[in-house]
Amino acid sequence: MFEKRSTGVLLTLPALVFLLVLFVLPVMVLLTRSLALPEGWGLGNFASFFSSELNRTIFWRTLRLAATVTAACVVLGYITAFGVLSYTKERRGMLTGFVILPLMISPVARTYAWIVVLGRTGFLNAVLTSLGIIDSPLRLLFTETAVFIGLVQLFLPLMVLPLLSALENLPRDVIPAAQLLGASRLMVLFKVILPLTREGLVVGGTLVFTGSVTAYITPAILGGSKVMMLETLLYQRINVANDLTGAAVIAVILVITTLAANKLLRRLATPRQRQEAR
Amino acid sequence: MQFLSRSLLWLVLLFLLGPFVVIVAAGFSAGDTLTFPPQGWSLRWYIKIFTIPEFQHSFVLSVWVGVGATLLALVLGVPVAYAIARYRLPFGETIRTLVSAPLIVPGIIIGLALLRYVVFTLNAPVEITLLLGHTTLLIPYAVRVVSASLDNLRSDIEEAAVLLGRSRLGAFFAVVMPNIRGAILAAFVLSFITSFNQVPVSLFLSGPGVSMLPTQMLWYMEYTYDPSIAALSALLALGAMLMVFLTERLLGLSRYM
Repeated sequence: MFEKRSTGVLLTLPALVFLLVLFVLPVMVLLTRSLALPEGWGLGNFASFFSSELNRTIFWRTLRLAATVTAACVVLGYITAFGVLSYTKERRGMLTGFVILPLMISPVARTYAWIVVLGRTGFLNAVLTSLGIIDSPLRLLFTETAVFIGLVQLFLPLMVLPLLSALENLPRDVIPAAQLLGASRLMVLFKVILPLTREGLVVGGTLVFTGSVTAYITPAILGGSKVMMLETLLYQRINVANDLTGAAVIAVILVITTLAANKLLRRLATPRQRQEAR
Repeated sequence: MQFLSRSLLWLVLLFLLGPFVVIVAAGFSAGDTLTFPPQGWSLRWYIKIFTIPEFQHSFVLSVWVGVGATLLALVLGVPVAYAIARYRLPFGETIRTLVSAPLIVPGIIIGLALLRYVVFTLNAPVEITLLLGHTTLLIPYAVRVVSASLDNLRSDIEEAAVLLGRSRLGAFFAVVMPNIRGAILAAFVLSFITSFNQVPVSLFLSGPGVSMLPTQMLWYMEYTYDPSIAALSALLALGAMLMVFLTERLLGLSRYM
């Protein structure tokens, strides 16, 4: 630790000025725009946003999808992490690589792959038809299910990685100890593994939930105009209606939802630990 | 039990990676529409994507913005990481929050704000605004990766260099730089891939003849249902895999994630 504070401040100055001018200021101006009314300031724009049934549907759909996607990622995340840990140390690196790999690939490409899988003339319909399970192709694209599947595939790695490191740090003998003391498999899962990996769960859950709330690519490609989410609605407000105030209202809703989810999930992680410490 | 948990793992991996096999194959189709299994095999779509001018232009722009924003983010971010690691900063917590804030604010909002208040109000060219917007987004990565590496580096070797007569800046380049070179390269690769794949920030920042590759792909697939996007997606996926594989081999990229 060096004593001259001024040098330290000077080193951070260029980045801070850059971010203040090109990030904080423009974003703040945009967000305050949501409070501008023809006659002064107020929450009127929010009231009129939520008075539209379509907007309410899209708002609740976004929250619902984010919640269900997070739940699915928690279940699949534990399954994946346990699977990886059942291999020897040498094999785990390669398997973790398979989980990380999709993160490096363009989300547009990753989401587009589902068009090929779920489309009318796609892979799944071809398989189901040839097996004689269905007569005519199913309509899978542009449904909430398609968006759900796309989001789970997009965000699952972000859940697996923190869970994996939490499980790897789990003391080796706690599970056998619990079993020795007569705990069933389910009890081990709920009383030992879940509490001890809570931090990883919260990190992963926050990433998946906020990522899903602010998803654009997946609903744009797999949902179309039928299954809109908040970000696709925001895009439409600007590009179709040129309604900056309406877009600013959605922007504020997005920011508040993400910040609230961050705070809430972090709180979920801490109080229990304090109870245990007592 | 072990058999069950391993089978489930491979099912999840099939779900994560299987779709790529499908797009690579769909790109080799000889037919005019996107079907799977493809109607006959050919290279026509893999060749066609190189002849579409919109894709050529947006690919070049994406590479330039990716490289430029990554370099700028490192130039701005490395000093911040160094200051956080080595100096007692006033408002340290606020500074840390500010440099990681671009990760929390949804990218579409950053893009829209830049369009309205930098492109429209200040009349800045769209290309420059894209570069600045992507830099904003990449600063958190640069700071985080380089900070992690600096935390593991003992500060007394720099002090020794200073005591032996080097200037503070000279000590940084002689002692610190060689030790964090790996982290800087890792930050470079991660930032470039992040910028290259980024959609929300770039979505609104486009103009006549100016768009980033992923945005261009989104527009293209709205109007056409041919296998060219599958071919392009497959090539981009392979390119990303190659880049990650090479850096993992050379640097051990996963240590910095």
